[in-house]
Amino acid sequence: MTSGHVVTHAAPGRRPLPSRLSRLMGRYPLRRAVTVAYFALVFVLLLAPLLVVTGGSFSAPASENVTMSYVQFPPERLTLKWYREIPATQYHALALSFGLGLTVALVSCVVGVPAALGLVRGRFPGKALVGAILRAPLQIPHVVIGIAFLQLYHAVADVTGSHLQGTLFGLFLGHLFLATPFVIGSVGAVLQRFNPRLEEAAFILGASRWRTLRRVTLPVLMPGIFSGGLYAFVVSFTDVPVALFLAASGRATFPVELFYSMEQDFNPSALASATLVTFFALILLIVTQRIVGVDQLLKSGAG
Amino acid sequence: MSNRWGLWLIGPFLLGFTLLAGSQFMFLKASFFADLGFGKVSTTLDFSNYVRIVTDRYFLRTLWLTTWISAIVASVCIVVGFPIAHVLARLRSRWTTVMLSAIVLTSFVTIVIQIFGLIIIFRADGPVNRVLLATGIIGQPFSLVGSVGGVVVGLVYSAFGFAVMLMYSVARTIPVSLDEAAAIHGASRLRIFRRIILPLSLPGLIVGFLTVFNLCMGAFTSAALLGGGRILTLPVLIQRTMLLDVKYGMAGALAAVLLVSVVALNLLSVAILKRFRAARKVVS
Repeated sequence: MTSGHVVTHAAPGRRPLPSRLSRLMGRYPLRRAVTVAYFALVFVLLLAPLLVVTGGSFSAPASENVTMSYVQFPPERLTLKWYREIPATQYHALALSFGLGLTVALVSCVVGVPAALGLVRGRFPGKALVGAILRAPLQIPHVVIGIAFLQLYHAVADVTGSHLQGTLFGLFLGHLFLATPFVIGSVGAVLQRFNPRLEEAAFILGASRWRTLRRVTLPVLMPGIFSGGLYAFVVSFTDVPVALFLAASGRATFPVELFYSMEQDFNPSALASATLVTFFALILLIVTQRIVGVDQLLKSGAG
Repeated sequence: MSNRWGLWLIGPFLLGFTLLAGSQFMFLKASFFADLGFGKVSTTLDFSNYVRIVTDRYFLRTLWLTTWISAIVASVCIVVGFPIAHVLARLRSRWTTVMLSAIVLTSFVTIVIQIFGLIIIFRADGPVNRVLLATGIIGQPFSLVGSVGGVVVGLVYSAFGFAVMLMYSVARTIPVSLDEAAAIHGASRLRIFRRIILPLSLPGLIVGFLTVFNLCMGAFTSAALLGGGRILTLPVLIQRTMLLDVKYGMAGALAAVLLVSVVALNLLSVAILKRFRAARKVVS
């Protein structure tokens, strides 16, 4: 709770010039030290699992007979053996997850941006209800969404004879349902801060409605669209429960593939593919920080 | 601008409503039909699935287990995460972005990978057990998989980042000028915390607790992996009833119980947040 940023009422200049250390520790060295130690502890604990997976993926086996218990952390000898041994199924699962995530992100933006425009700017009776229905997927536990969609697909198959369960399109619909509210939320948050005078100015200067939308409104909304699309991608890319119900057993997404491999006696090459995903997430995060800033993500996500 | 903006909603609404109504209707309907085995359901509508849930000790124990595990996890996340969120909201340093990014990173990586790491850390000859055994705190190696403690640890990892982000966005709304004003008038740090920061954060903390609690009630992945088939929380039981036992009716009824309790709690936290926002207007 101590931030050391309280305005002190001591007259400035009374203290001697602080040394580097005392400047780091501020006026309350003990309090500061406790805070730093607490932060260090929590963040080490928080990141420990990812560090262990990354470290373990480069660790050479102690014997040829490799099982999980032989994965050394910290690694004694470094090797890329596990990376070479990533099975083709894992690569297929990764490619599937990646493609699915991108498609879900794209389509949820196509659906979510007009929805956010309509919800924030439209004036019509029943708007609150429409908004509640569009945001409802956020309230439903993912397991419930999984079983609900599976039963829906069974019913559709009974009536029309076309099977959606186990197909990519069926899985896509489930993820789209999960992800669209995130786009609506983050675009809506930007829209609410939007200054309508910008659009009025464009309008007065002779731009058509369509041109105003394309050249003024959408560019201003871009940070919201980006973070909403990113959320949509991440939701699809990390989801287990929905894909567990909707994906076919041979063609599962990466997290589901990993989930199954952990329930059986698994190969350390799973550590290698998990590390690839962790690095990919890290790159995604750095790109996000460059484009919109992590703060924008938090503003639109949790708010 | 005109009412025409409402027209933009037609497409998204039709899609969202069809998926929501279709999916929710189907499993709720199924929950009112008894299972006959092999994925077949009876054709007569009754409440037998619900009656079993409220009378069978097995289901009641699962409900109770899920509830108290969620309560523990939510408390841990709020108590451990609140100082982090509060300091991050006040801190002006380049480390702020780094630390926020670390928290976001854990939610960008699927929880399966983090559980993977946790299992390695806690395995029988892993670092944690070696230290605990050597110091004599425990006589037997602690097993993460298949124990209540393991499920709690896993759920904390799956919810902690979200909890901090939620509390961070609330902490950002508390103006520093309030602490400064109190400090200038001679309040001690403890007094500032007790009389200003805590009362202003309290609604956010309650909403945070309820949200994380809800998240845990519905959390499947970490509970399934660390429960190891021995500790069954409600979402895990739903998945097993559906996919292993192929009892659509019972799975539907269990899912309905989960859905109703989660939605009720969400409505409660929305109501609290509304009162909080109304009160905040008076403050600022």
